[in-house]
Amino acid sequence: MADELTTLLTSSGISNEAFLAIVVIVLLIIGAVVVIIVSRPVLDIYPYLLPNAKVRARKGRLFDEKHFSEIIEADDYKEIINYLRGFPDYAKHLDNHSIEKSLDIQLGETYNILSKIAPGDVKKVFVILSKKSDISNIKSLIASKEANLSKDETTKLLIPVGSLYPTCEQLIESNTIEDVIAGLDGTEYGSVLEDALSEYNESGMILPFESALDKYFLENLLSASGVPSDDNTRILHSYIGSQVDVANLKIIIRSKVDGLKYDSINTHMISNGYQIKEWKLKDLMESESVTSIVNGLDGTDYSPVLNEALGTYNETASISVFEKALDEYIVNYANSLSLKNPLGIGPIIGYINKKEKEIKNLKIIIRAKRENNLGISDIQEMLV
Amino acid sequence: MVEIVIGTALAAIGAGVAIGFAGLGSGLGQGIAAAGSVGAVAEDNDMFARGIIFTALPETQAIYGFLIAILLLVFSGLLGGGKGLAIESGLVAIGIGASIGFAGLGSGMGQGIAAASSVGAVVEDNDMFARGIIFTALPETQAIYGFLIAILLMVFGGILS
Repeated sequence: MADELTTLLTSSGISNEAFLAIVVIVLLIIGAVVVIIVSRPVLDIYPYLLPNAKVRARKGRLFDEKHFSEIIEADDYKEIINYLRGFPDYAKHLDNHSIEKSLDIQLGETYNILSKIAPGDVKKVFVILSKKSDISNIKSLIASKEANLSKDETTKLLIPVGSLYPTCEQLIESNTIEDVIAGLDGTEYGSVLEDALSEYNESGMILPFESALDKYFLENLLSASGVPSDDNTRILHSYIGSQVDVANLKIIIRSKVDGLKYDSINTHMISNGYQIKEWKLKDLMESESVTSIVNGLDGTDYSPVLNEALGTYNETASISVFEKALDEYIVNYANSLSLKNPLGIGPIIGYINKKEKEIKNLKIIIRAKRENNLGISDIQEMLV
Repeated sequence: MVEIVIGTALAAIGAGVAIGFAGLGSGLGQGIAAAGSVGAVAEDNDMFARGIIFTALPETQAIYGFLIAILLLVFSGLLGGGKGLAIESGLVAIGIGASIGFAGLGSGMGQGIAAASSVGAVVEDNDMFARGIIFTALPETQAIYGFLIAILLMVFGGILS
């Protein structure tokens, strides 16, 4: 056979060296194609490996049902504080701050960490998310000036996290809300607050500032996640977009109960959420009652959730049932998203969702223990 | 310069393909596993030993490729100065290299991805270690098939005889 091959090569005018060269070139081409094909999925996965491992380690430290049962069974909120001292993430803040402030600091630090470790294509969203503490601090400053709180009382309200904290700390010295806004001139929030100033002057309520800040935050978040280019950005966009939908729905429902009309509601709306687009928002804002809002959501994922809560609302006339139902929807939706891309954005969304849920539930339990001293089953019903 | 017959030269290409592609898969797999392990160790120091175990698993593909490459070099006469290979045996040697090379590439990458996920699962829940090892070991089978076929090709393709 060797002779036949040699004869074939010779008769074709191909020398041994040329044959070797052809074999090498063919193998190189095959190799290059294989490398290109196999490297594509690796390139998608690679940026998320380190962040996901870090995030999953932190997720492993979150409280599970057993922890929450123990916390709920505590005799009073002081026992809860002692319980939390057993967990380093909380213990480090509890010596210097109140329990609520410690929880806020922990959440703020979580956002900061995520903004640092998030991969490049989704980093912007987490950087904006980390500004939640800044917005909360500005709201606290404005509220404290409105309520004429002392410097010490105002300091207690501020969360020592976020790039704007030093500025907020200096603004404690301000005398009025206008001074606070002037002090924030040059920051991204200056113009947002100035725009809301006239509405504040008319109404005498600080709600326009809070609403403007929330709207600015969610619009930025939505625009940062606005151009989905792959699975990861698509999942993140649906998560952020759903949060915008839920925020809009809460405002619309609350406004309808308060008897507000389209024009009053429209200024607080954020257009182009995930499932509720602009034309649908308009329909919902023009609805006559809460029931017609729920009916108008037919075809969206929010319809079954709110329809289920409608019965309880008709009995209690409390819109908190809708807010709880929507909060639970976001938790469940984020949970389902976290399983969609386990080697991409999934674990990060899963962690942030569970961390927010943990903090929210801890605050509910502490408030229930301190202010109402509610029973275990009552507290369990209140949890998200 | 040592005179090399064309069959032996083809076997040398086969040896290169064997260790080259198997090493590529193993390297990518270990890199993926190591990136996950570093993240886990950064958050939990106790993860170091388990991270090393998961990161070491995709090493086997490179070992298979290395072993086949050495055997090809020895039996083709490149190492030890034996008789050179005939041209058709040289072509069989390329098949041998491709068998373990490509199987090792896929297996190594798959194992690395599974290892990185398992490290994440273990750092989240310690009880996942044994199950993580089992899941990570599964993509090893493709490399074993490739290794087995490479050995059979050597035996029945006239290289080891």
